[in-house]
Amino acid sequence: MESLRVERLSKQFGGVWALNSITFSVEVGDRVAIIGPNGAGKTTLFNLINGQLSATSGSIYFFGKDVTAMPTHARAHLGQARAFQLISLFQKLTVMDNVLLTFHGATSSRFKMFRPVEHFTDVYDKTVQTLKTLGLWEKRNEPVSNLAHGEQRRLEIDLGLALEPRLLLLDEPSAGLTREEGLEIIGVIKNLGSNNTVLIVDHDMDLVFEVAQRIIVLHYGEIIADGTPDETESDQRVREIYMGLE
Amino acid sequence: MTAAPYLAIALILAIIPLFLSTYGQGLMTRFLIFALFAMSYNVVFGYAGLLSLGHAAFFGAGGYAVALLKLHAGVDLFWITAPLGLVVATLVAGLFGIIALRASGIYFLLVTFALGQMLYSLAWNVKWLNSKGMQGITGITLPDLGIPGLSLDTISFYYMVLICFIISFVLLYRLVRSPFGLALVGIREDESRMEAVGYNTWLYKYTAFVISGAFAGIAGILFAYYNFFVSPKHLGIATSFLPMVMAIMGGLGTFLGPVIGAAVYVFVETFASIFLPQRWPLILGGLFVLTIMFAREGIGVYLLRIWEKVSHRYGIAES
Repeated sequence: MESLRVERLSKQFGGVWALNSITFSVEVGDRVAIIGPNGAGKTTLFNLINGQLSATSGSIYFFGKDVTAMPTHARAHLGQARAFQLISLFQKLTVMDNVLLTFHGATSSRFKMFRPVEHFTDVYDKTVQTLKTLGLWEKRNEPVSNLAHGEQRRLEIDLGLALEPRLLLLDEPSAGLTREEGLEIIGVIKNLGSNNTVLIVDHDMDLVFEVAQRIIVLHYGEIIADGTPDETESDQRVREIYMGLE
Repeated sequence: MTAAPYLAIALILAIIPLFLSTYGQGLMTRFLIFALFAMSYNVVFGYAGLLSLGHAAFFGAGGYAVALLKLHAGVDLFWITAPLGLVVATLVAGLFGIIALRASGIYFLLVTFALGQMLYSLAWNVKWLNSKGMQGITGITLPDLGIPGLSLDTISFYYMVLICFIISFVLLYRLVRSPFGLALVGIREDESRMEAVGYNTWLYKYTAFVISGAFAGIAGILFAYYNFFVSPKHLGIATSFLPMVMAIMGGLGTFLGPVIGAAVYVFVETFASIFLPQRWPLILGGLFVLTIMFAREGIGVYLLRIWEKVSHRYGIAES
């Protein structure tokens, strides 16, 4: 079954085409990595899929539904989750509030105005459970900025996973992590069920080749290669312009 | 919350005016009205992080609704004027919110400022909005509560304001502790993340803006009765500054901060104008600067810290 389909998608910033008529589709359960040099349009592509930016032209289908003009929050309710390139947790808020906010976003109780947050037991219990699983229960009342970088990254990705998204967008999950922390993330991604589709942007080739079944290579806003890791590695154009090899 | 300290404060507020002169009772009334005004502003600025410079528009709209009913229809039955004033303030906030929330940051500030000034000049120029031969509407009297044998005086009006204040306080307190209130804080901290996890952030900001406008309207209604007079000034920038100064001085984004800020403002304003009638804004301005320099998080938070230190040193058990 098809999870995501992108058709002739383009995005123009001023006179620059950040993405130029991109077409690809992703099946449910796929682990797809998107790589390419800086400025190739990887993050722009994520922003379009997620709705943070609107497309200049082209369409995006999510489980057969045209979501091109849909706002980000509505796409979240369809089952998209995203971990940003730079950690986007609420730095000044406590660990607890961060988790509560993320989980409330997926429920209809998020708009309730008269009962205290703690009284919504389904969300609250899930929050407590998650914090205990992550070993962050002791630190629940500390601001997120007090956590180590690796802990923050881990928390953000695990929050994304705890929403049980149908499509998970990971923008450089291993950025700024130590080798061990990176391996931990790889483990988490590998353990995901076959209902989850994962799209990863990363510069860390170890992670990409470890996790991805398929690699899409972007270059100046166009797809120049799309195939299994082996095919990509042996592709002459990719070797020339991306990996810097003769 | 542990309700005990709040009940104690409510009790104190209920007893104090019995020992005060009429002038002192009026001062307490003024404090409660401005505290409510500042609390309403705190929802948009302190919690949702929207810096608005037009909050007096809703305060004044509530006040003008009451004044106009008196001026043109002679109505002063509270159960008619107050709901109508509330509706007018809410409608103005609903309209202004649609316009202003198309922008963000500094542009939001400018749009709210411009909309407030628009109402100001409207009130200044339209004859129907003024008493004969003057700027503003005079001749407002204390409201008629429709209870036979009861006509309000200064102290009973104080208790009426206190009841309105307590009800609003509880409602707003529950609002900021709810998932909705937490979402506002999330939007203040990082709006794009909030969207990514499924919040329609525009709707949250808009709802907060309108609710806040409605409570400012309540403050404005009470103020018109307290002041016996409304003028275009109460719609414009001069009045919009007040809740901002109070919220910042008391402690932005803390629930009690604006109340403390309002207390400081009202009492400093009064005493400073007794001793230095011409120069009191100077004293207030100086105090504001000192607060920003030495108690950046607000006087309320500062006092709380001191209390924690004291109670820690002397081993007073924390509640």
